[in-house]
Amino acid sequence: PGVGEYQAPDAGYPVPTQPDVGGLTQDMSSMGFGRTPQPPPQQGQNNRPHLNQLYPTDMMNQPFQVTELDLPPPPIVLPPNTSVTASENANCPPKYIRSTLNAVPTTSSLLKKSRLPFALIIQPYSSLHDVEDPVPIAADQVIARCRRCRTYINPFVTFLDQGHRWRCNMCNLTNEVPQAFDWDAAAQKQVDRWQRCELNYAVCEFMAPQEYLVRAPQPLVYLFCFDVSFASVTSGLLATAARCILESLDRIPNADRRTRLGFIAVDSSLHYFAVPRDGGPVTDTNMLVVSDLEEPFLPTPADLLVNLSECRENIESFLGKLQEMFQNNQNGGSCMGAALRSAHKLISPVGGKVVVLTATLPNLSHGKLEMREDKKILGTSKENGLLQTSNSFYKSFAVECSKNQVSVDMFLFSSQYQDVASLSNLPRFTGGQTYFYPGWNAARGEDAIKFAKEFSDYLSSEIALEAVLRVRATTGLRMNAFYGNFFNRSSDLCAFPAFPRDQAYVVEVAIDESMTKGVVCLQAAVLHTTCNGERRIRVMTVALPTTQTLADVYASADQGAITAYYTHKAVERALGGGLEAARDQLQTKCIEIMQTYRKELAGGSLGGGGLQFPANLRCLPVLFLGLIKNIALRKSAQIPSDMRSAALCLLSTLPLPLLIQYIYPRMYSLHDMSDVAGVPDPATGEIVMPPMIPASSGSLVPYGLYLIDDGQTQFLWVGRDAVPQLTEDVFGVADKTQLKVGKTSLPLLENDFNERVRAVIEKARDFKARGVGSIIVPHLYVVREDGEPGIRLWAQTMLVEDRAEQGSSLKQWLGLMREKVQF
Amino acid sequence: MDYEALKDQWSEVEDRDGIRLSWNCIPSTRMEASRLVVPIGAIYTPLKEKPDTPLLQYEPITCKQPCKGILNPFAQVDTRARLWICPFCLSRNPLPPQYKDISPDQVPPELHPGSTTIEYQLSRPAPAPPIFVYVVDTCQEEDSLKALKESLVMSLSLLPQNALVGLITYGTMAQVHEIGYNSCTKSYVFRGSKDYTAKQVQEMLNLTPGAVRPQVPQQGRPQPPIGTASRFLLPIEQAEIQLTNIIEQLQRDPWPVANDRRSLRCTGVAMSIAVGLLETSFQGAGARLMLFTSGPATTGLGMVVGPELKEPIRSHHDIDKDNIKYYKKALKFYDTLAKRTAHNGHIIDIFAGCLDQVGLLEMKGLANSTGGHIILTDSFTSSQFKQSFVRVFDKDAQDNLLMGFGASLEVLTTKELKVTGLIGHAVSLNKKSSSVGETECGIGNTCSWKMCGIDPTASYGIYFEIANPAGPSQHQQGPQKAMMQFLTYYQHSSGVFHLRVTTVARNLSGPAGDPAIAQSFDQEAAAVLMSRIAVFKAEVDDGPDVLRWVDRMLIRLCSRFAEYRKDDPSSFRLEKNFTLYPQFMFHLRRSQFLQVFNNSPDETAFYRHVLNHEYVGDSLVMIQPTLDSYTFDQDGAVPVLLDSASIQPTHVLLLDTFFQILIFHGETMAEWRKAGYQDQEGYENFKQLLEQPKEDARELVQDRFPLPRFIICDAGGSQARFLLSKLNPSTTHTTSAYGTSAQMIFTDDVSLQTFMDHLMKLAVSGTN
Ligand SMILES: [Zn+2]
Ligand SMILES: [Zn+2]
Repeated sequence: PGVGEYQAPDAGYPVPTQPDVGGLTQDMSSMGFGRTPQPPPQQGQNNRPHLNQLYPTDMMNQPFQVTELDLPPPPIVLPPNTSVTASENANCPPKYIRSTLNAVPTTSSLLKKSRLPFALIIQPYSSLHDVEDPVPIAADQVIARCRRCRTYINPFVTFLDQGHRWRCNMCNLTNEVPQAFDWDAAAQKQVDRWQRCELNYAVCEFMAPQEYLVRAPQPLVYLFCFDVSFASVTSGLLATAARCILESLDRIPNADRRTRLGFIAVDSSLHYFAVPRDGGPVTDTNMLVVSDLEEPFLPTPADLLVNLSECRENIESFLGKLQEMFQNNQNGGSCMGAALRSAHKLISPVGGKVVVLTATLPNLSHGKLEMREDKKILGTSKENGLLQTSNSFYKSFAVECSKNQVSVDMFLFSSQYQDVASLSNLPRFTGGQTYFYPGWNAARGEDAIKFAKEFSDYLSSEIALEAVLRVRATTGLRMNAFYGNFFNRSSDLCAFPAFPRDQAYVVEVAIDESMTKGVVCLQAAVLHTTCNGERRIRVMTVALPTTQTLADVYASADQGAITAYYTHKAVERALGGGLEAARDQLQTKCIEIMQTYRKELAGGSLGGGGLQFPANLRCLPVLFLGLIKNIALRKSAQIPSDMRSAALCLLSTLPLPLLIQYIYPRMYSLHDMSDVAGVPDPATGEIVMPPMIPASSGSLVPYGLYLIDDGQTQFLWVGRDAVPQLTEDVFGVADKTQLKVGKTSLPLLENDFNERVRAVIEKARDFKARGVGSIIVPHLYVVREDGEPGIRLWAQTMLVEDRAEQGSSLKQWLGLMREKVQF
Repeated sequence: MDYEALKDQWSEVEDRDGIRLSWNCIPSTRMEASRLVVPIGAIYTPLKEKPDTPLLQYEPITCKQPCKGILNPFAQVDTRARLWICPFCLSRNPLPPQYKDISPDQVPPELHPGSTTIEYQLSRPAPAPPIFVYVVDTCQEEDSLKALKESLVMSLSLLPQNALVGLITYGTMAQVHEIGYNSCTKSYVFRGSKDYTAKQVQEMLNLTPGAVRPQVPQQGRPQPPIGTASRFLLPIEQAEIQLTNIIEQLQRDPWPVANDRRSLRCTGVAMSIAVGLLETSFQGAGARLMLFTSGPATTGLGMVVGPELKEPIRSHHDIDKDNIKYYKKALKFYDTLAKRTAHNGHIIDIFAGCLDQVGLLEMKGLANSTGGHIILTDSFTSSQFKQSFVRVFDKDAQDNLLMGFGASLEVLTTKELKVTGLIGHAVSLNKKSSSVGETECGIGNTCSWKMCGIDPTASYGIYFEIANPAGPSQHQQGPQKAMMQFLTYYQHSSGVFHLRVTTVARNLSGPAGDPAIAQSFDQEAAAVLMSRIAVFKAEVDDGPDVLRWVDRMLIRLCSRFAEYRKDDPSSFRLEKNFTLYPQFMFHLRRSQFLQVFNNSPDETAFYRHVLNHEYVGDSLVMIQPTLDSYTFDQDGAVPVLLDSASIQPTHVLLLDTFFQILIFHGETMAEWRKAGYQDQEGYENFKQLLEQPKEDARELVQDRFPLPRFIICDAGGSQARFLLSKLNPSTTHTTSAYGTSAQMIFTDDVSLQTFMDHLMKLAVSGTN
């Protein structure tokens, strides 16, 4: 690897050599990892394939390498001819579904013995917009489903009886193939069944026929609840939000011209806006103020939800004036709970999205919240209470919303306590999200830009509506528990008034009966209305081999998926039993898995004080450690409960790649990055990233420049001995002490290094390339190692391998593991 | 003095002082007084227009506490001792230094013998410019709402430039428009079905300083007290464009109404909010709340009928049977609201534009207790509404609105006289003084009343009794006089307070049996004063009881003052100044004021409201309408008897009931008119005959408020019933006067003749 031009000012300091990061990866790939499996032979014998082999390693002798975090999960090795077509897309790619176990134990006792969880991490969408991640569509409305278990026909069924019938791969029932299955009614000609997308693609979408509609497909509806109280107006929230919506009107999905918008402004009263239709006699928006908050009522029967296309000009004019309307507002009240009830009343006949933008603690009327945080109880067992809902309104109302296809998103901006714990319940149960901007102020350009970008992307996202998710599986398997933001309407049905594109869900699977087949299937189906008014079903079918041996189970276990599963368990425990219990649970679980491995698979050998663990699970201990040290769960008396609650929201919703990064931040050394880093790869056109380095202070040299990035926040770390040339090139400031630390953005300077650093920072924010949809634009903080200690300490919490505060270093952690595993 | 001369004298007094007394000689003993039957009373019009009376630009000279009588022409002034003696309490008061040079030849204006009524412009300024809040019902037909909007916009140009204006609209919900808001049209919406307390209303409009403030301290800047309500009430010069725009854009209540239902109309809630709006910031300031309603309240506080059409609105019969669902609750609500408004010093006007009832019966207190107007019309499209509404904003020569705000009236008496009460649009101020009598007539037990709204024709019936112990005062020389002084304080529309002082002195009667008492009987004033008592009683008592009372009083008066031989009706004679009185009472008995069943409760409330507002002349027209006849070979109108005999085929009649002006064409006249003779050459005299009553009618309505309904009808036409109902049934189906050309009236009413026969018989029987 090439060495950057920035070196130690004192020639006496040795330049550290990069660890051989490629080494292990290459070793492993030569062992069959990281390679796409060969497609199974077209037709052939039913002999069992060789499942993934177990590769024992010693965590002590062979330290964990950060690049291992990027390894794909162990491949799913299916017997030949498992799918009816030879399509290489027949099985579900990990981007959409990851199973914690890519080889499924045939019995529940084996599963229990493994101490590993069996769960699916489901992420039905991998981008905000369809065009960035197209999925094949079966558009002819011929939907073959099993009569008994309602499974959608998929690549893993078998055809019988000259193709007239098909056997369900879940329940084995033989079903008739629908008449129209091989006939294109539109073109009036025969269709080649083997070209049908539902038999070639594990992930596809069906256009739903009439019988899937209980009512006309709902239009996309956004009802904005603006906080217009003193705090919101003075922080610039109202102005920024209004301007952002105004500028994003073209981005809001509206292909069917049915999209409707509504607006409610909230202080101690509710302000409704009747925006007239374009070209009509009335041009002035009429503001109707309601201060009676006891029972929600609408001040007019006229449409307060207006059609974006029909009222476009007047909406623009209204949004242009919104800030002025409240510019002198001195009101410090917020009846956001009442606003939500009214919003619900307004949109529940149609359903839709309620977008709450608030900088104030709701301090009036229904859902009234109180400042309950007390610095003294942070870090104590009483802290747990702060993470729980303080007003039952936020739960009961959420259920009401879900019932009426109303989804709530929370954009929270307070500079003071806002009770994120309570407010986040609404998104949690309605398929929404909580976006937290602590201490946000539009006067800071970085704050304004971050929110504006995120909010604009948010508005552009092609969310689905009135959606339900159901997971079906081969007889013997049962969906046991569901995690994520939705309402669990019945034992196996999750309801999403709106289905977001930036979240993942975890479904725990129980093995009820011993499995005899070599392959089991699981199928996740999302019945939804697209934001263009089409009723569709997105179906994802994953087939997994079964095994009777523990070694196979371990060899095919997915450390990322397991971490995701335990993240949800930890969040659940944190909200229920408290933070201490959540951390304990994680530690116990980690020890348990390592013990099981040692006892059952490593023959109990200690191998000279080593710590045995299979190659495919080597990240597990460090991820568990990272999780324990995450701001959501970390033992600390310094973390405001709102920050914790917001982090808990992230942990329970982030798509897997972002979750792993949030647990173990990515770190790059910039001062010495090679010449190819930060410039586009000639082959792909993508910016080449410098290699990741361990999130450890051991990685830092005093004259270095580093990017530390957990996906939510980026830190640009400037070593205490950084040379003036470096700071001059990157920041345009030769004198390091003149550096503006804290939230910032890099200046655009006319030098190669500045451009490359900016390119790296920008590329680090490219979530799309990593197969996830996300609106997040991380804040960039400049940290000087010898500068303001507050920010430095915060940045150092990202160095999860370090010992910090009350958390152990990775070395200590592994030491503890070894100690526990030995007994 | 003969009767005609007396009448002239009384009329002169009325012109000068705006007052008419039932008895112009005051009995000097209680015993004597008790035999008068008709109480001593005054119909007083405090703000009667007196363009030639100078307005005194200084503070009045007042007697010491607690009397506070004002220096007047009847006071004894000792110029040498620089003293004046208050005729009411007999205190000696020093004259102020600036009066040191007065002499019998040089007296200040208030001591001029002609200054029995005088007005002071006080230095105390009004707390705020006059305030006008329009409360507009939007549950209307398009054309009606359009007409109303036009009237309202037009009225803005009639307001003084500094007047504060506000707008509340209502239907299913009530909306308070924030006219001071410039970014868009903005209003505060209240549920029509809900009971809001005054405090809630004020909080919801952010009118209280207790409204939520930001946690961030605001450098302790105090809010101006008027600041908050000023968002809703703005000077017309600032807000005219914005307000015009809002009014013009007003739409019908948008909530859907099923075919079998009435519009939901929250009149009570809207009024309660309007009152609350002014209460916080403008208590005691001059303000008019003008309600424009086009139907009954059907929701929330003050609802008078349910929203289902199958449920009819209450009638007099329902009330009689005490069988109305909402009546008592609504009445209590509006009466409480009326008292609150009166306490705040504000006025409520009710303009109803509706063919059906709007709940005036229940709401009447709003206007009656606050000196407001009630105008009952069929629609806001009618000229009756439009012109009456404009007339509210009539102005004087100085371009000041002819209306006073925050008015109160206090009565002082010399010790022989005590005031027993007032009947008119006012509430008691519960002020006790030595002038307060023992008995109560109307609103009594006080010497002071608050009217809030007052205008130049507003007249009040004020009643007195003679005090115990009897005996005239010996301190004065010449004929002994009883005196009363009326002090009317009000906010003049020019923005300052005025005090109008009327001092009345009347001779006390001599020794028992002084004929001067009977001679001093003003039968017109007496009839009006008795009518007010009868109506006041009718509001609380049963109809028949009131009629019996009217009869009994009449019989007693006649047996006391007529000349007759006992038990000989044919010997019955009344003095000239008593002769008309029985007729007035006859017509009063038959009038819509006491015979309510031919009218809706709303109409009754309206008629009674107007009666309690007018001076003697107009009141008499209401009690006993005037009838003029026109025919060929006769110069102009000839007054004729209000009798069915006056209906003749070749005559045109002009009836004025005050509320209606009716032109009636006799049978032949009607035929000719239909044939169109008036348009033919050679029939100019016919054409002129038809025009004459119309011109006279126009003359009549010139100053009439509210504008009467104008009816032109023919003999035999359906509208003729309005005439027939007013006529004395001298020729009914029960009389045997067949063969006469006069119109037959089908009625069971007794005729005036029958009535008089009974009266004479009973009066002379001596059993009363
Ligand atoms: Zn099946
Ligand atoms: Zn006195």
